Amino acid sequence: MLLGIETAAGLVGVALGDGGGPLAGVWLRGERRHAEALAPAIDHVLAQAGASLADVEAIALDVGPGLFTGLRVGVATAQGLAEGLGVGVVEVTSVDVLAREVYDAGFEGPVAAVVDARRTEVFAARYGGPGTPSEPAVRDTPAALAGKLAELPGTLLVGTGAHRYRTVFADAGLRVAAVREPSPAVLVSIAASRLAAGARGVPAGSVRPVYLRAADARINWVRR
Amino acid sequence: MNVLGIETSCDETAAAVVSEGRIVRSSVVSSQVHLHARYGGVVPEIAGRAHVERIVPAIREAMAEAGLGRPDAVAATYGPGLVGSLLVGLSAAKGLAMAWDVPFVGVNHLEGHLFAPVIEEPDLEWPLVVLLVSGGHTLLVEAAAPGRYRLLGQTLDDAAGEAFDKVARYLGLGYPGGPAIDRAAEEGDPAAFRFPRAMLDGSYDFSFSGLKTAVVRAVERHPSAATSDVAAAFQEAVVDVLVTKAARAVRARGAKGLCLGGGVAANSLLRRRAPQAVDVPTYLPSMAMCTDNAAMVAAAGSFRLAHDGPSPLSLAADPNLFLEVVA
Ligand SMILES: [Zn+2]
Repeated sequence: MLLGIETAAGLVGVALGDGGGPLAGVWLRGERRHAEALAPAIDHVLAQAGASLADVEAIALDVGPGLFTGLRVGVATAQGLAEGLGVGVVEVTSVDVLAREVYDAGFEGPVAAVVDARRTEVFAARYGGPGTPSEPAVRDTPAALAGKLAELPGTLLVGTGAHRYRTVFADAGLRVAAVREPSPAVLVSIAASRLAAGARGVPAGSVRPVYLRAADARINWVRR
Repeated sequence: MNVLGIETSCDETAAAVVSEGRIVRSSVVSSQVHLHARYGGVVPEIAGRAHVERIVPAIREAMAEAGLGRPDAVAATYGPGLVGSLLVGLSAAKGLAMAWDVPFVGVNHLEGHLFAPVIEEPDLEWPLVVLLVSGGHTLLVEAAAPGRYRLLGQTLDDAAGEAFDKVARYLGLGYPGGPAIDRAAEEGDPAAFRFPRAMLDGSYDFSFSGLKTAVVRAVERHPSAATSDVAAAFQEAVVDVLVTKAARAVRARGAKGLCLGGGVAANSLLRRRAPQAVDVPTYLPSMAMCTDNAAMVAAAGSFRLAHDGPSPLSLAADPNLFLEVVA
């Protein structure tokens, strides 16, 4: 059984699944509530599925790119679970999860997965069609990205960044699909198919988020 | 009862195993000080990222050194501190507790510091006055017994260690500022300048921002003054205020001992002056127990678990957590 953890783009999402597909899941829009909501959500999903952590053979984790605070909650929780259970972590990017959802729904054209990066920037990756290899995500401004995507007619946009800047993309003649946040159920099915294809998870200590932005080197003199 | 403690509130990634509430079986501290040195202070985003890379190795080492496969509980700091740092240790601790099916307990980092003497000093006599001084905190606390505290006073602006960092940076002495100023002051004349002591009319609160301004003004007025003299006079002023207020609290509260804690408790002048100022025993923790570590978190967690039971898995990080009056 696989436990999926999704905290990269504003959702707190948990799903449980196996080779046959998702078994149970919950999500809530959890801006700033990741640390409170994630562990109880995991408990809840396991209980609803009549499963326990002892049944979990690997953790499927969205490693970003996305919003750093939520991402760190998901990554550290997955690290603790994986270390304690002695299982591996299958690292999946947020953009792969977003693109997979529209391809699973039957879309066959080019897709751009666009995640809101705040500060008027987005993290984006482009896909030529179902089954095509994903390229690494990059950080870009919505306007510059729209300019590049306009050269690929028929590109469908998904993700929080596509929604936030939908007028910018619409002005460039691009379509935005309903898919907004990465789905924990899709995350689990991607990890399940990768494991079935022979991939292996990484150990807890090797899990690394995908930041795509240098650390902001600002000191904050906190008052305590 | 073996408790795994996890501490990531600032720039140290730490894990430790403590037995029976006070026997340290292992204590691992992975310091990030070199990552932040070039900035002259802790950079929150760099700290958060470093914790993610270091947390699992620290936990693994602490467990291996203690010879444990699984502890009886997991304790982690949930505040105060930098939120992006706190979330790493807190989340990892919840994950571990769930995986091992053992209780999780959240620890107030400040209460953790108050457990450092409990670990190191078997014959402590209560009540105690504790002076907790670091880059993040400056508190004077009355402790009637383990777990029973009253906050007497705290800083109204900069923490004492923060004042050391800022003045060290201004004087070009490097980071961290505490040891840098301590070293520079060795060759300086503390009477070269008379910097202000903010005594705040008999309150137990502290204020260090005016002192920092006075240092800047003095250097501007005397550009050729020896850096060692400025450092020595600055250190003298900080220690004077800390020791005066701590000694007054010991007398007023009828305390049977004075404890120092926090990174600034490593300052050599403070360690010399504090015992001279009081006629009760002064407890000076080891360097490892002054600075942030997870053994103190595990000890405080053991106490909280026995006293209040486990924390809910919904416990959030609280960057501004206070040391509440606990009776
Ligand atoms: Zn501290």
